[in-house]
Amino acid sequence: MKKQLTWLMAALMAMVIIGCSNQKGAAEQAVAGAESALSAVRDTAQKYVPDQLAATDAQLAAVKESLAKGDYKGVLAGVPPLNTAIGALKESAAAKASEAEAAMAKAKDAWGSTSAEVPKMVAAIQSRVDILSKSHHLPAGVTKDALANAKSGLETIKTAWSEAMNSASSGAYSAAMSKAAAVKEQATALAQSLGMPSG
Amino acid sequence: MADEKTLVKENPYTQTHVVESGETLGKIAKKYYGDASLYNQIFEANRDVLKDPNKIFPGQTLRIP
Repeated sequence: MKKQLTWLMAALMAMVIIGCSNQKGAAEQAVAGAESALSAVRDTAQKYVPDQLAATDAQLAAVKESLAKGDYKGVLAGVPPLNTAIGALKESAAAKASEAEAAMAKAKDAWGSTSAEVPKMVAAIQSRVDILSKSHHLPAGVTKDALANAKSGLETIKTAWSEAMNSASSGAYSAAMSKAAAVKEQATALAQSLGMPSG
Repeated sequence: MADEKTLVKENPYTQTHVVESGETLGKIAKKYYGDASLYNQIFEANRDVLKDPNKIFPGQTLRIP
């Protein structure tokens, strides 16, 4: 009887050990799978949805902490929502990347006409500033201050335009168009202050 | 003779002026530059259509640089 009880206890212990070992293996595999899935989307997510990536990283860290503590049940409960979060992260990052690509293509298209237009705008203002600088009396509606501001404003515009062209030549068309829009706005204001049409 | 459409195509930001009866380049320069003596700036900018600064005609479209 005593011998039978010993065998029974040994068998139970073996089952517990095998059960724990199976759970540990499953937990480790689940965490490794989640880590791998997150790693695949990390770069894109970091660029387009960094906040969502940080939240997902926090979820992964919590699951890994459970694994380190040997809380395999906790790990196996935590991995499915983590995988859902990784899936959502992947979708969000892909959508944002697609939006950014579309915006870039649109900006690249627009840059073609803008890069021809702005220099003409600047040339027209420069020409008027040069002539007004020779004038003994300014025309009605144009003050000495306006002319002085136009002179300094033109230098600012030229610098900003140079930066916009640098952005475009490095392929950053969205940034280039954003800078070009600011240049056009400034140039329009300058032209109006000199009594010129703004195009 | 360059018309307004052509001039705008050259540079839409260059101002243009359609000559009215009795106007001279000096009067036009006075209007845009405040100084009639700068008439030559307009003449030089319109050498393709003006041969003589004293001969401009109503209806002509001039660039005002």
